[in-house]
Amino acid sequence: MSSPFESYDELDDADERLQAADPAERRVAIIALGHSGDPAAVAHLAKMVADPDAGVRQQVAMALGEFDGPDAASALVSLLVDPERNVAAAAADSMAEFKDPACTGVILPLVKHPHAFVRMGALRSLKELRHKDTLKPALEALQDADAAVRVQAIGVIGFLKLEESIPALTALILDPDAHVRRAAVSALAFSQMKPAAETITRALKDTDWMVREMAAETLGLNANGSLAVDQLVASLADEFWQVRLKSIRSLGRMRIERAVRQIGNCITHEQANLRKEAAAALGEIGAPEGEAFLALVANDPDPDVRKNARWALQQIAARKAKAGS
Amino acid sequence: MPLASYQTSVPVVVDDVKCIADKGCTVCVDVCPLDVLRISDMTGKAYMAYDECWYCMPCEADCPTGAVTVNIPYLLR
Amino acid sequence: MAMDEIVDGLSEVSCDVLVIGGGTAGPMAALKAKLRNPKANVVLLEKANVKRSGAISMGMDGLNNAVIPGYATPEQYTKEITIANDGIVDQKAVYKYAQNCYSIIEELDSFGIRFLKNENGDYAVKKVHHIGTYVLPMPNGETVKKALYRQLRRARILISNRYMATRLLKSADGRIAGAISVNTRTAEFLVIKAKAVILCMGAAGRLGLPTSGYMFGTYENAANSGDGYAMAYHAGAALANLECFQINPLIKDYNGPACAYVAGPFGAYTANNEGSRFIECDYWSGQMMLEFYNELMSGKGPVFLQLKHLHPDTIGEIESTLHKVERPTRGLFQQGRGVDYRNESIEMHISEIGFCSGHSASGVFVDDNARTTVPGLYAAGDMASVPHNYMLGAFTNGSIAGVDAMEFADSHDFAEFDSSEIAQERERVLAPTLREDGIPPNQIEYKTRRLVNDYLQPPKVTHKYLLGMRRLAEVRDDMQKQMIARNAHELLRALEVQSIMDCADMAAHASLFREESRWGLYHWRTDFPEKDNENWFCHTLLSKRDGKMTSEKRAVQPYVVPISDDEKDLYDKQRIRASA
Repeated sequence: MSSPFESYDELDDADERLQAADPAERRVAIIALGHSGDPAAVAHLAKMVADPDAGVRQQVAMALGEFDGPDAASALVSLLVDPERNVAAAAADSMAEFKDPACTGVILPLVKHPHAFVRMGALRSLKELRHKDTLKPALEALQDADAAVRVQAIGVIGFLKLEESIPALTALILDPDAHVRRAAVSALAFSQMKPAAETITRALKDTDWMVREMAAETLGLNANGSLAVDQLVASLADEFWQVRLKSIRSLGRMRIERAVRQIGNCITHEQANLRKEAAAALGEIGAPEGEAFLALVANDPDPDVRKNARWALQQIAARKAKAGS
Repeated sequence: MPLASYQTSVPVVVDDVKCIADKGCTVCVDVCPLDVLRISDMTGKAYMAYDECWYCMPCEADCPTGAVTVNIPYLLR
Repeated sequence: MAMDEIVDGLSEVSCDVLVIGGGTAGPMAALKAKLRNPKANVVLLEKANVKRSGAISMGMDGLNNAVIPGYATPEQYTKEITIANDGIVDQKAVYKYAQNCYSIIEELDSFGIRFLKNENGDYAVKKVHHIGTYVLPMPNGETVKKALYRQLRRARILISNRYMATRLLKSADGRIAGAISVNTRTAEFLVIKAKAVILCMGAAGRLGLPTSGYMFGTYENAANSGDGYAMAYHAGAALANLECFQINPLIKDYNGPACAYVAGPFGAYTANNEGSRFIECDYWSGQMMLEFYNELMSGKGPVFLQLKHLHPDTIGEIESTLHKVERPTRGLFQQGRGVDYRNESIEMHISEIGFCSGHSASGVFVDDNARTTVPGLYAAGDMASVPHNYMLGAFTNGSIAGVDAMEFADSHDFAEFDSSEIAQERERVLAPTLREDGIPPNQIEYKTRRLVNDYLQPPKVTHKYLLGMRRLAEVRDDMQKQMIARNAHELLRALEVQSIMDCADMAAHASLFREESRWGLYHWRTDFPEKDNENWFCHTLLSKRDGKMTSEKRAVQPYVVPISDDEKDLYDKQRIRASA
């Protein structure tokens, strides 16, 4: 009976198997190297990045995803610029798994590559590395002609969480692409300083509803979110209920008593999700003025709305009792 | 009691042209949680030997050449 | 050699810690045991292949119970789980999970498992429940197993695939000594002597029969046939609260969740045929399932997951997650039915019954160190009794088990066992292969599971249960005297059906013992329709004593996070009575 355990001998005959005439056999050898988990396999795989068969190169790109570090990175870098789309895509996916900051130097030059796909892949893989050397090239990439590249660059900058990047992220609030603006608002959330909050507040008036939704949500988590109360209250009249919902949640979280009336006015909206959120927020705020609005949904057809209203009334009652004692 | 076998249409289909099991690949057979795939002695290609499929997809997702297709078993379709 | 031909063979190995089951908890347990003592031998035994085995073979779409600083506290979480389980919780283990799970998330992140992050690198935690915020989506969740497997290879864990453990070995004084296993492709035996054993064998998910009639169309990975529950039982370990069945909301006919945890944060909800919400309960629990069941059975059924009120862009985002991760054939299924989430709601139903602590509370009894009642034997994940622990609980408690088991192994020598047990077990396992003529395992299994549906599925009626137990005993007799296995693969199924039968017996026995109704639909007994805190505010422990199945009460341990009466009331007031 053979050994009952998985073997750890994939590297033993790797060189020979990687030279097989049949590309399918080479693929099988590459799969085994990826499976091995042995960092020594990277050197073998690196030799295969110029294989004449695109399927083999794609397999190499996938197998390299099992490893981390500069050696795997430099092999993948040459596959990311592969003319074959499947190969490049596999390389980009594998590179996104890197965690070792030592990969940074190998990947950085690609941020200026002529192909947008390569620039995007490179930036995407730099995010998780969180290396300070990535800041400058990522800031430059904010000027990229391709919006998808700009979005990835925002991620790199946001993950670093450096106050010095706030002006550059702020400038993106005027970017022509909505995805870029939305990403910028999400990235700015790391800063608890006033300028970031001000920028996010401006985004409440964005032309795209998803940007406005992101801004409304993000303000509730910001230490300076209370500076945006008037604007959040104004957003309670947004034409998209999704934006109103996040505004209500943020106002509730911040316990803004002077928003009770406007939140209350949303409690009869046709969208049940919004009614529920309004009820919950009135409870969080706990102001007695909320009671009259909550009474409007005591018999709401939606049980989740009724439940949140009941809880809200309990919270208000508890606060009253506390104030009285 | 004598036994009879009955016909069933199996959910996993392998494209013999793309399959490289005859070159030593065993990926789909390895990853199947229910162990229902085998490599044919006659063709050297992978096939579904037992209709006991959870249609979970690793065989399709991990196949290096895109030879495997998982369909929803007929009874559920 | 003919396919799956049976080969005569037996070998023996020994190791410090043996982990049985390479799904979610198992790999983590093995890894942590090895890291605890890198010189020790750790064996990870798996019935399928560790690369793609278990409940998360194709990944997971998110964490349901992440306790992340700033969003939820361990105290909040412990309260929520206590209330969701009608108070029957040993909080210590739940609280320990809640305290440790964030560091496990960070560790999984360092393995390359990707969680949803905002553009500033923070986890994008979503709010689903009223009180805490616990949901963390995993848009690239299909990489989970790959990333775990990589860690195992790096640590040089001894991985043994395609071996099914059948029985545990114990010393005369009751300490764990190892396990017996059989190869699923050759029927060769492998005996593994071990100082400590960790069971991570998943849910008993092949207990009830899915309504589609397809035996392998179960909610749980169909490989999870309850082998761990059966093995623990035969080893004399106690099993807790087995009457608290697992029943889950599903897409009708398709076995995947719809899934409220993915779509919920985006604003989707479960609705009746009038398009209205009907669920009062805030947390996934038996109470929620009872509300679901009542609505299904009422004139307002069927039940749907409603998305069409959402913006098309939002639906697009939900679709890409739902169709890619956890059960990726979901997209294929909807396509086949011609369902577009943009203009049609998704019909839902409830799953077949099973045991699973991951979703309910039915598991092998463990304390807050993952220890079972057998010295040296541990359990973690869906099969261990820490309630509602889901995937993150499997990782966290698996980690706890790995460390504690290695400490146990470091301070104990191998326990001696009676070697005649091996010969006996070999005889038992191979019996179906020695018969010339008989009934194949698939027929025994279908009949067993059909009886489970007919007689054991809630609502639980005593009279039906007694009848069902009689019928199951008849099938057991057939199984023991007439089942045949003509090759090694069929032998695998024959062994699984024996686990299924054991679980069916335990489900029936445990359900009859608890003479009250509790946990909503999970344990709704028509003869005892009320919750009876006076007599039944306790765990039940089932175990094998002198060859017989017995049940006893066990007191709930004092809470570490007190729950005030008005907090209890808050939930109790929303309770819907069992009768629709």
